[in-house]
Amino acid sequence: MAAFSRQVLDWHRLIPLTWACMARQTLHLGEQRRTTASLLRKLTTASNGGVTEELSCVRSNNYVQEPECRRNLVQCLLEKQGTPVEQGSLELERVMSSLQDMGFSNAHINELLSVRRDASLQQLLDIISEFILLGLNPEPVCVVLKKSPQLLKLPIMQMRKRSSYLRKLGLGEGKLKRVLYCCPEIFTMRQQDINDTVRLLKEKCLFTVQQVTRILHSCPSVLREDLGQLEYKFQYAYFRMGIKHPDIVKSEYLQYSLTKIKQRHIYLERLGRYQTPDKKGQTQIPNPLLKDILRVSEAEFLARTACTSVEEFQVFKKLLAREEEESESSTSDDKRASLDGDEDEEDEDNDEDDDDEDDDEAEDNDDDEDDDEEEQL
Amino acid sequence: MTYSVQFGDLWPSIRVSLLSEQKYGALVNNFAAWDHVSAKLEQLSAKDFVNEAISHWKLQSEGGQSAAPSPASWTCSPNLRCFTFDRGDISRFPPARPGSLGVMEYYLMDAASLLPVLALGLQPGDIVLDLCAAPGGKTLALLQTGCCRNLAANDLSPSRIARLQKILHSYVPEEIRDGNQVRVTSWDGRKWGELEGDTYDRVLVDVPCTTDRHSLHEEENNIFKRSRKKERQILPVLQVQLLAAGLLATKPGGHVVYSTCSLSHLQNEYVVQGAIELLANQYSIQVQVEDLTHFRRVFMDTFCFFSSCQVGELVIPNLMANFGPMYFCKMRRLT
Repeated sequence: MAAFSRQVLDWHRLIPLTWACMARQTLHLGEQRRTTASLLRKLTTASNGGVTEELSCVRSNNYVQEPECRRNLVQCLLEKQGTPVEQGSLELERVMSSLQDMGFSNAHINELLSVRRDASLQQLLDIISEFILLGLNPEPVCVVLKKSPQLLKLPIMQMRKRSSYLRKLGLGEGKLKRVLYCCPEIFTMRQQDINDTVRLLKEKCLFTVQQVTRILHSCPSVLREDLGQLEYKFQYAYFRMGIKHPDIVKSEYLQYSLTKIKQRHIYLERLGRYQTPDKKGQTQIPNPLLKDILRVSEAEFLARTACTSVEEFQVFKKLLAREEEESESSTSDDKRASLDGDEDEEDEDNDEDDDDEDDDEAEDNDDDEDDDEEEQL
Repeated sequence: MTYSVQFGDLWPSIRVSLLSEQKYGALVNNFAAWDHVSAKLEQLSAKDFVNEAISHWKLQSEGGQSAAPSPASWTCSPNLRCFTFDRGDISRFPPARPGSLGVMEYYLMDAASLLPVLALGLQPGDIVLDLCAAPGGKTLALLQTGCCRNLAANDLSPSRIARLQKILHSYVPEEIRDGNQVRVTSWDGRKWGELEGDTYDRVLVDVPCTTDRHSLHEEENNIFKRSRKKERQILPVLQVQLLAAGLLATKPGGHVVYSTCSLSHLQNEYVVQGAIELLANQYSIQVQVEDLTHFRRVFMDTFCFFSSCQVGELVIPNLMANFGPMYFCKMRRLT
C-alpha cells in the first residue's frame, strides 16, 4: 500500500513539472535538441521548491521524454487526430505527458489513442487512471483496452464506483489483470450480477471471503457463468469427486468447463483410477491430484494420469456425450440400456412388444457399502 | 476375485468398456430377404465381419501361411452374416423390424456371442444341442446356419425359455418351428448325459455365469457382493456339471463348445479343465481341446482377444470394440 500511494503522489507532483516543461517547449519551437540533463537544470530553476528529489526520481524512472521527440510525436498525433492544432495540441500534450508519467511508452500511447474512437481525451485519461490506481501496469492496460475498447465508454462515475467495489472484493493491488483479460465485463456488467455470484460462492458453496477473492482472481469466467451451472459445478467437485474447499480454490477448478471436468473425471472413475472418498474421506487407491487431471493437456492426461491410448478417450468422449444427452431427455423406451435382472444378457431386446417379466431391475439408489462390500473389481 | 490381478495393465481399459455402452452386431435373418437386408445394413456403413474373416482365412491358407490346419476341422459354421460398425464407430443399428416375409430382418446381439457358434463349425445335417439356450440369440444363430437336421434347445428357467420361444416366433418361419426340426425344453441341463447320451454331433454349452458386464452396473443384487459369495463359489461347480453333461451327450468324435460371458478364469479355463478331468476320471472318456489360434487370428480385426488364456479364447471389451466379455473353448470328444 505504501509503495502504491507513493507512486500516486509522485505522479501528482509531476504534473506541474511537466506543465513547466510543455510551457517552455511551445515557446522555443525552433530550439535545438537538449539533453535531458540540461532540461532538468532548467527545471530546477523553476518556481517549485524542493523539487530536486522528485526530479531524480523522475529521471531514474525515465518519465521525462526528450522534448524534441515529444514535440514531433504531438504533431504527428495531431495530424492523425485531425483536431484544430492550437487547442487540441494543448490538451493532447497534457494527456500524453500524464500518460507518460504513468509509465506508458510512446508506442503504448499511440495504441491507446487509436482505440479511443469517439471517447474524449479526458475520458481516456480518467479511465486509464482508474486502472492504474487499481494497480494495473501500463502494458496490461493497453492490452485490455485494445481488446475491449468498449470500456472507454464507461461513465467515469460508474467506473469509480465499480473500482471501489472491486477493491472491497479484494481485487485491487494488481490482482485485476487476469480478471480483465478474461472477463472485461467485470466493469460493464450489473453490480447485482457480480453480487449474485459472490453470494452464491459465499452462502451456498460456503467459501470464505478470501477464497472468494482468490476464485474471482484465478477463475474470472465464473462471473459469466449461469448461477445454477456454477453451483452444480461446485457440487460435482465437493460431493462427486470428494474435493474440499481449499483444493477447489488452489487447483482453480472452477475455471474449467463442466464438460471437460466430467469427461476426465468419469473416464478415470470408470478406469478404476479415481474413487469418490467414503464417509471417512478415504479411498482404497490414492486418487490422482487435481492438477494432473485438469490442468494438464489432454495428451499428458492420457499418457500420465489415465494411461490409455488417445483413441480410447476419443471414443469415450463420444459415448459420454451421448449418455448425457439421453439422460437429459430421459427416454423410457431405451431398451438397449435396460438391465433387468436376467443373467444371460448378451442379447439385446429385439422384440417390440416384450414386457419385462423378471424385474430385478436395479434402481439407482445410494448403496450403503459399509455392511455389504463389493468385491473389488 | 480381483480382475486387476488377472489382467494387469489391461484391466483399466476393460473396466471402462464394461461400464460404457456396449456395441452390437446385427445378425442377418436368413429366413428373411437376407440379401436385401445385407444391402440395407451396408448402406449404414456397417460391414459383415464374418465375411471379412472368411476372406482373411482363405487368403491365409492360400498364401501357405504357417499352421493353417486342414479344412475339415477348421471351417466356421456357414451362412452366418453379422454386421458391425467399424472400430471406434459408436453408431447404433435401428431396432429390427419385420420384413416383407413377415419375419424380423435382423437380430441385434453382442457380436462376440456369435463366435462360439462360428467356432462350433456346424456342417450340413448335424444334430445339434444347445444346452443352456435362453434367451436365444445363439440358438437363433445355430438355426441360421441351415445345418441343423435337428436342434434341441433347452434352458432350466421356464420364463427365459418363453423368451426364446418368442424370438423363434419372430424370426423363424412356422414350418421350421413346428416341424420336428426344433425341440424346445425346460429341463435340468445337468441330466443330459443320462437323458440323451452319445447323441449329438455338435453341442453348445453356454453356461449361466456372473455376466460381468451387467454385474458392474447393478448395485442391487450384484453377484460380486459379499452376501452372494456362496453363490459365486457354487457357480463353477454347476458349470462343470453342465459341461460334463454336454460332453456326455456328444457322440464320440463330436464337438462341444463351452462359452461364458465372464472374465474369470475360475469360470472359464478351470471349468474346462475340470470337466475334462471329470470325464476322464469318472467315465474314462477322452476329451481333447482344439486349438483356436487360427480362428482367433482371422477375427482379430474386429475383436480384442486376451492373449494369455491357458485354453480357449477370451474376447475382452475395449472402447474401440466394445464387445464381450466372451470366453469360448472348443473340444472334441475322442472316445
